[in-house]
Amino acid sequence: MKRISPRMRFRMNNPFLQFFKFIILSVKIMVIVAGGHGGTRESKS
Amino acid sequence: MSKIVILGAGISGHVAATHLRRKLSKKHEVVVVSPNSNYQWVPSNIWVGIGRMKSEKIIFPLAPLYKKKGIKYKQAKAISFFPEGDKNEDKPYVLAEYVMGENAGQQEKITYDYLINATGPKLNFAATEGLIPGKNKAYSVCTYTHADHAWQGLEKVIQDMKAGKKAKILIGTGHAKSTCQGAAFEYILNVEKELVRHNVRDMAEITWISNEYSLGDFGMDGVLMSYGDMIMKSSDLVEMIFEDRDIKWILGAAVNKIEDGIAHYENLEGEQKSENYDFAMLIPAFSGHGFKAYDKNKNDITEKLFKGFMIVDADYTPKPYEQWTVQDWPETYQNPSYKNIFVPGIAFAPPHTISKPRKSKNGTDIFPAPPRTGMPSGITAKLVAENIIDAIKSGKESLNHKGSMGNMGAACIASAGFGFWKGSGISITTYPIVPDFVKYPDSHGRHLGKTFGAVGLAGHWLKLMLHYAFIYKAKMKPFWWLIPE
Repeated sequence: MKRISPRMRFRMNNPFLQFFKFIILSVKIMVIVAGGHGGTRESKS
Repeated sequence: MSKIVILGAGISGHVAATHLRRKLSKKHEVVVVSPNSNYQWVPSNIWVGIGRMKSEKIIFPLAPLYKKKGIKYKQAKAISFFPEGDKNEDKPYVLAEYVMGENAGQQEKITYDYLINATGPKLNFAATEGLIPGKNKAYSVCTYTHADHAWQGLEKVIQDMKAGKKAKILIGTGHAKSTCQGAAFEYILNVEKELVRHNVRDMAEITWISNEYSLGDFGMDGVLMSYGDMIMKSSDLVEMIFEDRDIKWILGAAVNKIEDGIAHYENLEGEQKSENYDFAMLIPAFSGHGFKAYDKNKNDITEKLFKGFMIVDADYTPKPYEQWTVQDWPETYQNPSYKNIFVPGIAFAPPHTISKPRKSKNGTDIFPAPPRTGMPSGITAKLVAENIIDAIKSGKESLNHKGSMGNMGAACIASAGFGFWKGSGISITTYPIVPDFVKYPDSHGRHLGKTFGAVGLAGHWLKLMLHYAFIYKAKMKPFWWLIPE
C-alpha cells in the first residue's frame, strides 16, 4: 500500500508550490474539458 | 417562430435555456418549466453540509433572472407527455401542474416545437427502507436543504464529542445501485477535516460504506491515471488517502434498511450485516420520475419514451460487460421516436452501467449506476441547444453537434477539506468518461496523458474558483458564455 510521505505532504500543503500547481492544473483541465468532444460511431469497426 | 420548452432548471436545463436565449432572436420563445424556484450549484452542497458555506451562497432565484433575460418561467412540475398532442390539441405538449402562486394546483398543456427534458433524477430515498433525510440520524447532501439539515446533525455530534462522547460516522451510498460516490467521497473527507479542526478527531470512528467493488470505482469502473511521475489506479489513490486519514471502509455493500443509528446491508458474499452510527450521510438511489406518455388517441406509449429515464440515441440491446463498447452511448441525446425531444444531463436512460455489474451470492445486484455529473450535464445540454438552434435557423433537422461520454473528458475536483490555506482537494481528470477499451487497451480504456490525479491545496483553490465562476456564468453576467461548461 502506498503511503503519503512527509515530503509528499509538504508539497501538498505548501502554498507557494501549490500556487504553481494551481496554474498548471487549471491549464491542463481547461485543455481536457474545453478541448472538444464528439461522437464515437463513425469510428465503429 | 419556434417554441422551445425546457423541463428542469438544474445545471442541464439552465445551461440549455441560457444558450438558446443567447443565440435565438426574441421572436422564438424559450420556456423553462421547473418546480424549483432557485438555481443551485450542487457541487458546493458539500461545504453547506459541513457548515463552512451558507446555502444562500450556492443558490439564487430563477424568476428575476429569467424575466430580465426574456426567458419565460413556469414554476410547475411536468406530469405527462403528449408528443403527438391530442384530439383537441394538434401540437405536442407536456401536461404540467403549477406548484406555487395563485395558479398552484392548476394544470396546463404547455405546447412546444422542441422539448428538452432536463428533469434530472428522482432522489429515490423510498428504495431503501428507513432512509429519509434527517430521520434515523441519516442525512443527505443532494440538495441545499438536505445539506443544511446534514450540518445541523453533524454539529450536534461534534458538540457531543466535545462533551466527551465518542461517535461513529458512516458515509457513502445508501442503496445497492446508488451513484454519485464522488459526492460522498468529498463529504467524508470534509467531515474528517472538520473534526480535526474542532479537535475531536480522536473521538470519532469514520467509516466509508459503498456499493463499489473497489475503492475509487466512482461508478466509472475505476481509473488508471498519471500521478506525478507514477501511473496508479484510483483505488490506490483513495486507499492512500483513507489510510492517511484513518478512515475505515466497507465495500460491495447494498444498504437495504436504515433504523435509528443502524444501517443494515448485504455484501457480495451474501451476508446480512449491520453497522451502527451516530451520524450518517448516505446517497440514495436515483430513478426516473415515473412520467407517463400518451399518443394522440390517449393510448399509453410510456415504453416508447421511457426506460425508467428517457430513451435517447443509445444502443439498449442487452449484452454482457465484455461486449460493451463506447458506441453504445448516446451522441445527440435525441429521442428516436420523437425527433423534437432531447434529453441531456442525468434524465437520459444510459445503455448500461460503466462499472462491471456484480451480484451477491443471493443474486442481489450490487454495483454503482453510471455517474453523469455537472460537467457532462452541462456539455450535453449545450450541444442539444446548439443542434436545436441550427435546426431552427436552417429549417431542417441538424445533428452536427455530438458529445458521447465515450469521447468526452471530465474533471472531478473533489474537495478534501475547506480552508484557503489549510484546505485540500483531489483533482482527477478522466478521458474519456466511459472507458474505450479498443482505443486505449493498455490503460483500462483511458488516455493516460489526459487522465491524471493530483492532491493538495491547489485542488481546494480550483474547486473554489469553479464555485464562483459557475455561479457567475449561471447568473448570465457579462461574457458568461466564455466560461466553458
